[in-house]
Amino acid sequence: MLSAAVRPTTRLLRFCQNTRCFQSAAATSSTVNAAEIAHFSRLSSLWWNEQGEFSLLHRMNPVRVHYIREKLLEATWEDQGEDARRVLESKCAVLTGMDVLDVGCGGGLLSESLARLGARTLGIDASESNIGIASTHASGDPQLSSSGNSLQYRHTSAEQLVKEPKRFDAVCSMEVIEHVDNPVAFLSACAQLVKPGGHLFLSTIARTPLSYFITILAAEYVFHKVAVGTHTYSKFINPSELISFFQTYRSSPSSSSNPTNSGHIGSDASPRPWITHTYAHGLPTRSEAEVRGIVYIPWSGEWKLMSRSSTPWGAVECNYLFWVRRPLDS
Amino acid sequence: MALFATPRSLARLRCRRRLFLRSFSSEHARDNDIVIVGGGPAGLALAAALASNPTAKNSLKITLIEGGDLSKIQDWSMPPNAYSNRVSSITDTSQHFLNKIGIWHYVEHARTNPIHQMQVWDGISGARITFDASEIPESNEMARMTENLNLQRALLRKLSDTPSVRVIQSVKVESIQREAGDRNDWPLVHLSNGATLRARLLVGADGFNSPVRSFAGISSYGWSYDTQAVVATLNHAPRGPFQAPNNTAYQRFLPTGPIAFLPLSPCTSSLVWSTKPHLAAALNKSSPGVLAQLINAAFRLPEPSFQYICKRLLEGVNSSEEIKEEIAFRERSDGISSHSAYASATSMISDGGISPDDADALPPLVISIQQGTIASFPLRYNHAESYLGEGAGSRTVLVGDAAHTVHPLAGQGLNMGLGDVDALSRCIIQALTHGGDIGSYTALMPYARERYFENHKVMSAIDKLHKVYSSTAQPVVWARSVGLEVVNELDSVKAALMMNAGASSRLQNANGWDLFAKSVGSLAGAASTSKMVGEMVGAGIQVLAKNAGERFFGRH
Ligand SMILES: Cc1cc2nc3c(=O)[nH]c(=O)nc-3n(C[C@H](O)[C@H](O)[C@H](O)COP(=O)(O)OP(=O)(O)OC[C@H]3O[C@@H](n4cnc5c(N)ncnc54)[C@H](O)[C@@H]3O)c2cc1C
Repeated sequence: MLSAAVRPTTRLLRFCQNTRCFQSAAATSSTVNAAEIAHFSRLSSLWWNEQGEFSLLHRMNPVRVHYIREKLLEATWEDQGEDARRVLESKCAVLTGMDVLDVGCGGGLLSESLARLGARTLGIDASESNIGIASTHASGDPQLSSSGNSLQYRHTSAEQLVKEPKRFDAVCSMEVIEHVDNPVAFLSACAQLVKPGGHLFLSTIARTPLSYFITILAAEYVFHKVAVGTHTYSKFINPSELISFFQTYRSSPSSSSNPTNSGHIGSDASPRPWITHTYAHGLPTRSEAEVRGIVYIPWSGEWKLMSRSSTPWGAVECNYLFWVRRPLDS
Repeated sequence: MALFATPRSLARLRCRRRLFLRSFSSEHARDNDIVIVGGGPAGLALAAALASNPTAKNSLKITLIEGGDLSKIQDWSMPPNAYSNRVSSITDTSQHFLNKIGIWHYVEHARTNPIHQMQVWDGISGARITFDASEIPESNEMARMTENLNLQRALLRKLSDTPSVRVIQSVKVESIQREAGDRNDWPLVHLSNGATLRARLLVGADGFNSPVRSFAGISSYGWSYDTQAVVATLNHAPRGPFQAPNNTAYQRFLPTGPIAFLPLSPCTSSLVWSTKPHLAAALNKSSPGVLAQLINAAFRLPEPSFQYICKRLLEGVNSSEEIKEEIAFRERSDGISSHSAYASATSMISDGGISPDDADALPPLVISIQQGTIASFPLRYNHAESYLGEGAGSRTVLVGDAAHTVHPLAGQGLNMGLGDVDALSRCIIQALTHGGDIGSYTALMPYARERYFENHKVMSAIDKLHKVYSSTAQPVVWARSVGLEVVNELDSVKAALMMNAGASSRLQNANGWDLFAKSVGSLAGAASTSKMVGEMVGAGIQVLAKNAGERFFGRH
């Protein structure tokens, strides 16, 4: 569990900046030169080396996808009943027909999985290098490179993307929010990108003594698993903070599916917040939002999604997943 | 399944969206999600297991390559009373798996035979353990003897209904290379028909000499046993009217190796006789009539007398009459009465249908050997260092004999391979539902974790058992016989030992083997020290008793 919160993306980003500056996005430009390809191939094989320094991240990915799948099945049950849920469950590609955004896609670990599950996937990253790495890697896989543009990468940010009209059935941002300077603005941007009835998935690190010990003291200073300065304790975000954000967050009318109608929303039709009910211990109801801890089990080398009942807070002492759904009628 | 004996124009130009990739990949290679090398039981079962799952069936492109002629196996048939000489005991666990993937009902059941009991004894001391299926809860058989061809044919029949799996037969894998470039390069499999397959995941189900294992750079640890297994299909009279039917497997541990008698039908059984190569060669060469007599003697004569007969055989005594004389002489000098079940030379056919009292302790007398069924195989112990390739060998995984080879004395080789296939197919399906890359190390890691130590435990228990029983040193024999009798007394230990043969959960299996390994290990440990004999036996009993206690008090 010691290096549970390794943040490879940032580290690699630094590494990329130190080596060589990337000129143009490999995947989108038609004037790609061989040196660039070689450069990104090298970085890509580093990033995608599953037993290399990003191994923990690679191992975490199946748990994230498992959780996304689980919540989508649950939402289908909620909206359309048991039969629809079963039909979806029997399909391998549970995301077929969905538009999914991966904010801070890094080398494309989650984006590739989302695309394999059938989603029209857009991966965005603030680092041009990461976009190069992700595009290069995906292009080597015939399933991803030949399935009709289902996986795309762009060098941009959530804040920029909001300015475009496109909205998504699901927005995912894994291990990003603890690194941004203005988490409230970041959360709002992510939330605005979600279609009504759509999903927002986040994963991050709680601000607890344990997380301080694991991610900063142990990982950065004692074991040097992660470069010093990778994490800033004060930037860690607790689940209760995410919940309270969405207790007050209302979708702005302009972000609804039909922006031209925005002027007609009257005062009593003002959209409701994403989280309307919480239990006594502060947790939301399961159909609106959910928090689940994920824990690295060193002896099995796997991450484990904690059960809902493990503690009222789902064992969210360190790494956790957060899901919230935008109300259909907002 | 599409059977392509000589597939033409396999190479298909793949059109890639991104121009710059051209230089990195082999344009003429055909992309596959899974390339399975080897159409033995393990390879075919993996293809069938994946084809039986809708998720895998609909999303994976699978090609299996076999160097041999599979159409012969698909059309294989034999008269009802004739049997192939390659037979395996299929455990309950394996049957459950084959049922789950819809294979078991393609197996011709009339040609299989249940084992209800196993009798195993020490060739020197005579100490004996009996395993009985009635002692296993919720199971009426310990295992089912099944011809390998019957199983392979069932797998091929199932696959013939499955167009999503392409089977290329009579085509060999000539070389395997890593794709050029330093990106996420895939293995390229070059075939003897000139075609090249590109594999997201390359599965080595290619048996002991696994070319896939060499390509992946996985080293394999092991040794040759300096032993050959002589196999044959045996004809014998049916069991007497007051005897149990032919459902008991017999195995006698001779110092040269175990000889096993495995029932196939009321009057047919299969032989697996593991012995020293020079003796195996002599047995192989001898006429069927002589071999039949030697088999009967091997189960019956006291060890020194049998050793003497073998000596005579090696000296060139090879006529049926001479051997019969020799055996009869030894029986007389050993005081074996002609009415005893231990008499073979003097009472080849039991008269009047009344069997001797001790008949159930021995297999029926072999009358003849089916033509063309005598063959022999070298035996070895081998365990790959890893089941997953890494670095330059990434995107490869091993199953079955490619990953591990064991002595057949416990009838586990094929069953372990099926266990691998079960685990690997579940692992692949799991990765698919999570959008994983099924060739990735992360996706395959759970397979290796589930199987490696599980197999290792079984393998080392079998190996220790083989070693401890090939010793003729007096103290060892004594310790061993006492040990065996202790085992016979301790029901709980016996139950544990039987788990390997019977159904039960994977967990119980593991515990059974654990215990087995420990008990046998204590005997082997005793054998290697030169302390007082009494001390050794004492230690052995202590460990056995401790193990038994642990089981009684439910510690695990
Ligand atoms: C005497 C004896 C008795 C046994 N009894 C039992 C028993 O009772 N119970 C039990 O569970 N097990 C038993 N076993 C073990 C069992 O037979 C093996 O474990 C089992 O057959 C292994 O299956 P496999 O599919 O892994 O490998 P194999 O059966 O060896 O299949 C490998 C296949 O790969 C093909 N191949 C190899 N190289 C290439 C290439 N370059 N190109 C194309 N194809 C290739 C080969 O042609 C072959 O068909 C016994 C073994 C022996 C020797």
